[in-house]
Amino acid sequence: MAKKIVRIDMSELVATYENVPEKWSRWAGRGLTSAIVVDEVDPTCHPLGPNNKIVIAPGWVTGSPAAPSSGRTSFGGKSPLTGTIKETNSGGLSGQKIAKLGIAAIIIEGMPKNDKWYSIFISKDGVEFEEVGGLVGKGMYEVDELMWEKYPNKPAVIGIGQAGEMKLSNAGISVNDPENEPGRYAGRGGLGAVMGVRGVKAIVIDDKGGPGVEIADKDLFTQGRKKLTAAITEHALTKKDGGLHAFGTNVLMNIINEAGGLPTRNFSAGQFEGAAKISGEAVAENINERGGVGTTDHPCHPGCIIKCSSIYPDEKGNPFVSVLEYETAWALGANCGIDDIEYVAKMTRECNDIGLDTIEAGNTIAVAMDGGYLEFGDKEGAFKTFDEIRKGTPLGRIFGQGVEATAKAFGVYRVPTVKGQSMPAYEPRAIKGIGVTYATSTMGADHTSGYTIAPEIAGVGGKVDPLSNADKAELSLTFQAATAFIDCTGYCLFIAFPILDIAEGWAGMAESVAGVTGMDVTGDDVIAMGKEVLKMERLFNEAAGFTPEDDRLPEFMRDEALPPHNVKWTMADEVLDKVYAWVHED
Amino acid sequence: MDTSSHNNTITVNTALYGPLAKYGGGKYIAEINVALEHGDKIEDLLKYFELPPDEKSYLFINAVLCDVPGLYASQRELLHDGDHVGIFSLQHMWPYQYRDGIRMSDSLTEALEEHGPIKNTY
Repeated sequence: MAKKIVRIDMSELVATYENVPEKWSRWAGRGLTSAIVVDEVDPTCHPLGPNNKIVIAPGWVTGSPAAPSSGRTSFGGKSPLTGTIKETNSGGLSGQKIAKLGIAAIIIEGMPKNDKWYSIFISKDGVEFEEVGGLVGKGMYEVDELMWEKYPNKPAVIGIGQAGEMKLSNAGISVNDPENEPGRYAGRGGLGAVMGVRGVKAIVIDDKGGPGVEIADKDLFTQGRKKLTAAITEHALTKKDGGLHAFGTNVLMNIINEAGGLPTRNFSAGQFEGAAKISGEAVAENINERGGVGTTDHPCHPGCIIKCSSIYPDEKGNPFVSVLEYETAWALGANCGIDDIEYVAKMTRECNDIGLDTIEAGNTIAVAMDGGYLEFGDKEGAFKTFDEIRKGTPLGRIFGQGVEATAKAFGVYRVPTVKGQSMPAYEPRAIKGIGVTYATSTMGADHTSGYTIAPEIAGVGGKVDPLSNADKAELSLTFQAATAFIDCTGYCLFIAFPILDIAEGWAGMAESVAGVTGMDVTGDDVIAMGKEVLKMERLFNEAAGFTPEDDRLPEFMRDEALPPHNVKWTMADEVLDKVYAWVHED
Repeated sequence: MDTSSHNNTITVNTALYGPLAKYGGGKYIAEINVALEHGDKIEDLLKYFELPPDEKSYLFINAVLCDVPGLYASQRELLHDGDHVGIFSLQHMWPYQYRDGIRMSDSLTEALEEHGPIKNTY
């Protein structure tokens, strides 16, 4: 059965099933959300107005049997935070269940005429709308619990907390995990507000009895997924008891700190004296000591074999929060001068409940601290800011708008944003390569926009050379293109480690995609297809009014030297302009 | 007065991360002030901890990257009083794009030039 587009009109409370048009048929995941947004959303529209849409799409292989670590769901729309196109993806239960219902994408458009709130239930029998005024004002922990009480078969729950209801620019979209906790977020860019505008509090997906994912070439798919699985289970970082499994993404905290590249106290220094206390190693120690449900052996979706997630327990071993990612622990910890992992965990739980992106939330508090609202390191004060947001006080609404609004409110010059989105946990003055990606990404400052070490794929020297003077513009573009491709597959970005180190893994990834889709995809197509996605996104942004002058890091990074190396951002604008110059040349 | 010089000893603050922490008496993190002699090098520090060099991956001295997995460029680095050394295990990852452009020691720079591009450098 051919996959369908489910178009949901919230103005009329009507859902229609459409065939996937030829122009979109090559794409899934990020490629599909961006293609639909480009075709159907006016780039100049107001992100919170009636002409924006939310598009939800699983990847090519998501939901296919035994494809390892392939449960990503892409969410797309025009971002209220950046004004750019946005794709933000998440783990959790949603992607596989949407795919198993034979759905290529869900498009949610329109706005309720009556200002009421709805849940949308999608199953093999179709789409049902229900008015859910009783859910308004509730956080995602309660919403997830209520949805599992109401619906059978442990469905996926995609939802927004109070931040999305208030249409705040830092509102993320929550996806529940296998334990029905709301720790998986399509967090960046404020798409939770766009969902709120549509009057959708929750989308519940039950795949029981669905047709499943059609496999075009079962032998090729099986061959590919076996190669990929072998590579993941063999590689030092992704195998059982490898770095990601043992310490999660927060394995990076101490390394980045030792290198002098850990943004600290609102990007005023590159090292934090309390980094070790909030690192993955410290989290693992606490988990092991407390026992109970605490574990570092946690998949964020069924079938993940990397298991970089964890469940952080309270002192009695009861579940408290999942997951303390590196960027989360950094944003709410080092960047606010807070070295207490318990407060970092408490604030993470607040973000998960209210529906906030942890990176933007931590940066927002740090900017407010820089503006004198709190002292750096004031963990009690930082924790209380979430009450302000949850209650929707005027101050809380400013915080909920993210870094740039908060910086204006408090008169702060040190504003670590690009295109309105705040930077993640890597200081571009110390780690200059990432700065090129921050500046030029179609998404605003984003560490996942240029994730993979693509030179090996692209043939830039065959192997990674840490001393290479290779053009940083070309390198960043290749990173961004390879990442855009992986964002289409539905695979977790962390497969990048094994597939780039182990040739069979790379081949297996491409074969699994070709096996599911029937497309003639090989490793040689990755960069070209990734660039197609980037071009769509870049042209949308240009039509929205963005120019090369928006591809810049903030002024203070050229003015202020970052300790301990006392370095400034010195990258020439010409280098940044080169990254996307090809868009109008090809 | 420089008492460390007077006593012919230096103090090097050392952090051992992940599985290496066991060499410093910790489970996942060990931070210790180590007394060494003037003229001692990284190789002497590793001997102090009885840490096999092939178990170290990234190694920093005062926020400068001095070694990477599979190389031993830091062995002859001279240590000074008040230095901070951070040593990571082979279990630690560091994706390339998150270290592209960071500060490296001359010894590591030379070693990488001699060795050529390295793989498995996550």
